Amino acid sequence: MNPPALVLEHVSRHFGGLKAVDDVSLTIQPCARHALIGPNGAGKTTLFNVISGELPATGGQISLFGEDVTRLAPHQRAARGIARTFQITKLFPNMTVIENMLLACEALDRRKLVMFRAVSSYADLNQRAAALVEQFGLSGRTHEVARNLSYGEQRKLEVALSLAGRPRLLLLDEPMAGLSAGESTSMHAMLEQLDPAIAVLLIEHDMDIAFAFAERVTVLHQGRMLTEGHKDEVSANLGVQQIYLGMGAAE
Amino acid sequence: MKKLQCVVVAALLVAGVLLQGQTVEGPIRIGFLVPLSGPYAQNGRDILNGFLLLLDEIGYRAGGREIQLLAEDTEGIPAVALTKARKLVESDGVHLMAGGLLSSTGYALAPYIDSMQIPMVYPVVSADDLTQRRGSKWIVRTGYTGSQPNHPFGDYAYHTLGYRTIATIALDYSFGWESVGGFQRTFEEAGGRVTQQMWTPVSVHDFAPYLAQISRNVDAVYALFLGRATLQFMRQYEEYGLKDRIPLIGAGTTTDEHALPFMGDEALGVITALHYSAALDSPANRAFVSAYRARYNKLASYYAESMYSGGKWVIAAIEALDGQVDDREVLLNALRAARLTDLPRGSVELDAYGNPIENVYVRRVDRVNGELQNTVIDTFPRVSQFWNYNPAEYLAQPLYAR
Amino acid sequence: MAEPDAALGGPRPPSNTESMSPRGWRLAIVLVLGLVFSAGPLLFSSYWVGLLTQMVILAILAMSLDILLGYTGLPSLGHAAFFGVAAYAVGVLATVHGAGFWTCVAGGLLVGTLLSAVLGLIVSHVRDVYFLMITLALGMVLWGLSFRWIPVTGGDNGISDIPTLAAHSGLPFAGPLALYYVTLLVFIACAGVMALIVKSPFGLTLRGIRENEGRMKSLGFNTWLHCYLSYVIAGAFASVAGVAWAYYNGFVSPTYLDLTASSELFLMVTLGGPATLVGPVLGATAIVLLKNVMSAYTARWLLVLGIVYIVTILVAPKGVWNLGPSGRSR
Repeated sequence: MNPPALVLEHVSRHFGGLKAVDDVSLTIQPCARHALIGPNGAGKTTLFNVISGELPATGGQISLFGEDVTRLAPHQRAARGIARTFQITKLFPNMTVIENMLLACEALDRRKLVMFRAVSSYADLNQRAAALVEQFGLSGRTHEVARNLSYGEQRKLEVALSLAGRPRLLLLDEPMAGLSAGESTSMHAMLEQLDPAIAVLLIEHDMDIAFAFAERVTVLHQGRMLTEGHKDEVSANLGVQQIYLGMGAAE
Repeated sequence: MKKLQCVVVAALLVAGVLLQGQTVEGPIRIGFLVPLSGPYAQNGRDILNGFLLLLDEIGYRAGGREIQLLAEDTEGIPAVALTKARKLVESDGVHLMAGGLLSSTGYALAPYIDSMQIPMVYPVVSADDLTQRRGSKWIVRTGYTGSQPNHPFGDYAYHTLGYRTIATIALDYSFGWESVGGFQRTFEEAGGRVTQQMWTPVSVHDFAPYLAQISRNVDAVYALFLGRATLQFMRQYEEYGLKDRIPLIGAGTTTDEHALPFMGDEALGVITALHYSAALDSPANRAFVSAYRARYNKLASYYAESMYSGGKWVIAAIEALDGQVDDREVLLNALRAARLTDLPRGSVELDAYGNPIENVYVRRVDRVNGELQNTVIDTFPRVSQFWNYNPAEYLAQPLYAR
Repeated sequence: MAEPDAALGGPRPPSNTESMSPRGWRLAIVLVLGLVFSAGPLLFSSYWVGLLTQMVILAILAMSLDILLGYTGLPSLGHAAFFGVAAYAVGVLATVHGAGFWTCVAGGLLVGTLLSAVLGLIVSHVRDVYFLMITLALGMVLWGLSFRWIPVTGGDNGISDIPTLAAHSGLPFAGPLALYYVTLLVFIACAGVMALIVKSPFGLTLRGIRENEGRMKSLGFNTWLHCYLSYVIAGAFASVAGVAWAYYNGFVSPTYLDLTASSELFLMVTLGGPATLVGPVLGATAIVLLKNVMSAYTARWLLVLGIVYIVTILVAPKGVWNLGPSGRSR
């Protein structure tokens, strides 16, 4: 049997006395659609940072596809199949859309260290980058600098970048945040079309989207796992908890 | 686009014609190089002032021709000095050059001067080897070598001042090494001993760590500093209570007139040696010092005297040739043959290596009429850069280094 | 070499970031620079040929810093160190060891590059103002070394009497004009290689690091390695300039690698236009020209130069290359 895409065992991240992530254990199977929910400050993004390696864990162990990656740097984890998006858009603002995409495409390619040949001469790289740009509906903006894109376009590019490396585990940090209703719907449609082979862990505020997208749901509160299970179980439990968590009302 | 190209080409052509070196008959052009900006600007300014004073006195005329001075700022950076020298020689077409302050500049310019075969007068640059082991045909030094006044001074410290052990403290560069080296050699050959040597960075700000180390058992301390550093050193030497316990002697720059007016009683009694003192009691020097003071409202430093005298040297050569200076070889020979008897510092002639044979004065800082001065207390006449040694044997030995 | 950043092939509208100003302005710059550097020496006096040689060598140096400062976003205030160290290597090899021309050239390049490979291990860990400070500190240390390691460097006197290029290399043409055109060839070669590097997949990663290093890491780039390589590449090209400078001036002194040299270099890049490669050439040319022309006319030339710097920064914050009515209305 294939190893799980991601296994967290008693993972913690403390900032001094603050336990941003505390003793979280979680398993994500290959091909899973998994949502991570919780109120603001629950530690969702911190947990993402710990999984992707931006922040080292202060305790516990992280395994990617059966390999212990707890001590590995972000780029080493990326090379092992993990990719992520950021809640606050992280693009290359003064580079064009196609340049953004080319960077993402060569990230896990050995040719990223080639110095004495123009990147434009690599037809396959350019084609793949162009295809991704088109797939995300940005082909009209290919040569625009990322800084000049609309917010919705930037969010699309944000997700597109994370897919360029053909990840096996994708961490999506509120891809719909701040989008208009229309944009949000089209983003959701894009997420639904993701290659089923990719395991996806989604942070989402909107309960409806989270439960529509995911099979399994984890609820995080004050850094700790409150509950984890199939979306039906969790949603059944959630009635009581919503009051306690103050979730949903604002959403 | 065609039109633009034409305009650019035309502009370049005009520029090219304008920028070609001018080599017509007319004034005698003297290129002059000193730092006029940067940390050595003050000394450079003194050197230039001395020259300007002289040129004024002779009305910018010599040998029947007008003298034109082209002064360039070297910033005290050798590469800049070289660029400026190139401008003076290749673009301005000067007949000869003068100037320079730092040894580094002196060494950097030498190969270029030789390759262009342009006579050059070094009034201040004192790096020994420029007229010794790495002598240059086209360089005429009218100043001194760092070790030159220190050879007699080492002898003097032993025999006249009666010192037997001495500690030295000096700036850590070639001027320091060569001055201290010359002093140490003759002092130790006489029977004394330099028991301690300290070198401070050129950028030294605080002498406390060094003063704390100075051995209290020496008969005297020999110091070499200049500019801001010498002011600071003198003050701290007194503050540390060393002035009353250990006599202070040193190189000429330590109490030179560029810094002396800014010193107080801490400088009193310090004995140094140099080929010049503004307090030298001769008609030529009195006239120079008072003219200099009248014009610049300043005491004449040895830097000022250097190019006043260096200028006299140049003028003497021009006069000897009746202004026919266009043959550089002839001009060089005239410069080397000049013998000046009425310079502020006294009588000077060049040795076979292009370095002056001149008096070395032992000076003591006194207060006269409320002003500090370097009173001449002894004179070593006609001192050569080789002192009493045989030049060939002298040159066989290595250059003084730390 | 006109637009190294216009890298990605295919036709495209003129709306790219680093090539956004009107084409006319840039065309004029390239045209004037090209004309002056190719045909100028034939018209000018040897003094001006000398200045052009300076410009060309310093242009190589400024472009090398641009790789680091403009493209990678690593502001080095110690870049003159590699330039100086390479020049020292030539000086020591040529005068003390009497080495031949190619040994000196190879030695200079090797020593400068190796030094950057060693220092790069230290500096590639830090960014921004810390990078500025640590490169500044290392530059000062090397300057101090050149000043104090007297048996090798000759202290403040430096090393003079480096043979001329013609004498040393056996080149059949002597004189400033020959030296100039040899230097120009070296410049063209270096500029070509650097232009290729910034267009390469690797060059793209440098800009990515400048733009958003965090994202680069999570995409899978070992950004440390890329910064390190950028530093070594910059050091290597600075060494080329250092070797050329040693032959041009015929001597080496500690001022080659002092802070003044490094900061002047920094200004060349920022004034000309960072991340453009042409900008630094323009910056080097302008500063050499200003310094030498200005100082001939006024003793207050430092002040004038300072004003020029300030005005340029106010009028053209992205450098003279990026000057002109901006097309950034979108």
